[in-house]
Amino acid sequence: MIFREVEDRDLIAKARRGHVEAYNVLVSRWEKRVFNYLLRLVGQREDALDLSQDVFLKAYQNLKKLDDPAKFPGWLFRIAHNEAYSLLRKNRPEGEMTVEPKMAEASGGLFPIESTLAVRSALAKLSDDHREAVLLKVYQGFKFEEMAEILSCPVSTVKSRLYTALDLLKQTLAPVNSGGAE
Amino acid sequence: MSCSSDDLKAYVVGEMTRQERGMVDDHVRGCQGCREELDRLNLTQAALVSLEDEEIPRRIAFVSDRVFEPRWWQTMWRSGPVMGFASSALLAGAILVHGFEARPIAVATDAGLTKQISELQAQRAADIAKFNDQLRATEVRFEHQRQEDLATVQQAAEYYQKQVARFEMASNEAYKQ
Repeated sequence: MIFREVEDRDLIAKARRGHVEAYNVLVSRWEKRVFNYLLRLVGQREDALDLSQDVFLKAYQNLKKLDDPAKFPGWLFRIAHNEAYSLLRKNRPEGEMTVEPKMAEASGGLFPIESTLAVRSALAKLSDDHREAVLLKVYQGFKFEEMAEILSCPVSTVKSRLYTALDLLKQTLAPVNSGGAE
Repeated sequence: MSCSSDDLKAYVVGEMTRQERGMVDDHVRGCQGCREELDRLNLTQAALVSLEDEEIPRRIAFVSDRVFEPRWWQTMWRSGPVMGFASSALLAGAILVHGFEARPIAVATDAGLTKQISELQAQRAADIAKFNDQLRATEVRFEHQRQEDLATVQQAAEYYQKQVARFEMASNEAYKQ
């Protein structure tokens, strides 16, 4: 993990000097995570792809403003968060905060397809703020302090959003959980 | 530790220290309600992480664009060795130009300074003239003294010549007698 961090730091340093290929390597490492975060947040694949490209373009243009290369992941996801919310605010009328995501069909895994669809549906029913808290913690593994920086809000707010989201998901997924546990 | 749903959630999402996790483990062993709640949260977490990441439909890549490429001077500016070499070359050039340059005498443009210089030059000329006058007077005085000394020596010589001639005459007369 440390070795990977050093490599990212080296790529960032090269990209800052104008090495586009070094930046492309950095993009290849992070594009899947950023794309899936955006996909689960905005719900539309084409939007998520366009946003991903915008995120990496803005990151490249502002790479010199990144004080500490070790904070690149949080910094990148902060850009992604800002881009996603710009789109969400533009696309949705005030008060309408959730949409049914149109994602690809499940491709199998440890849980049955019903479980995968149920999880997607449960995530889609959350508000954007609650869903984003789950995405950053459960799927991206950020710490509360990092999430607070990404979302520009206090740690207490981050905790409140995540815990509320977990309570809602627990209720929504209860039948699935029971089925999975049996 | 008392029953706390938030603590159980922090436990599930990995936001607890080892010591805090131990306290939760101890509590859950003796509290059926919290044990069931923890099970539900773990199942929810497991259901969430079962959702696999999708592959990105199109890879994101950037081509070298002149808009984003650094200019030649930016590249040079950011390169330490190049800047060091350029600085050395500039310094060497400056030394060469300085060495071969026909430098004009600096002309004082300040009026006060010019006047002061003129006064000093006049004073210096007066001092030199005075010294020359004194030198010439001294030379004249020494010449007079030399002439006087020379005259005295000549008189003495004439006196001794006369005395010698007188003694010779006296000696010749005495020899004849």
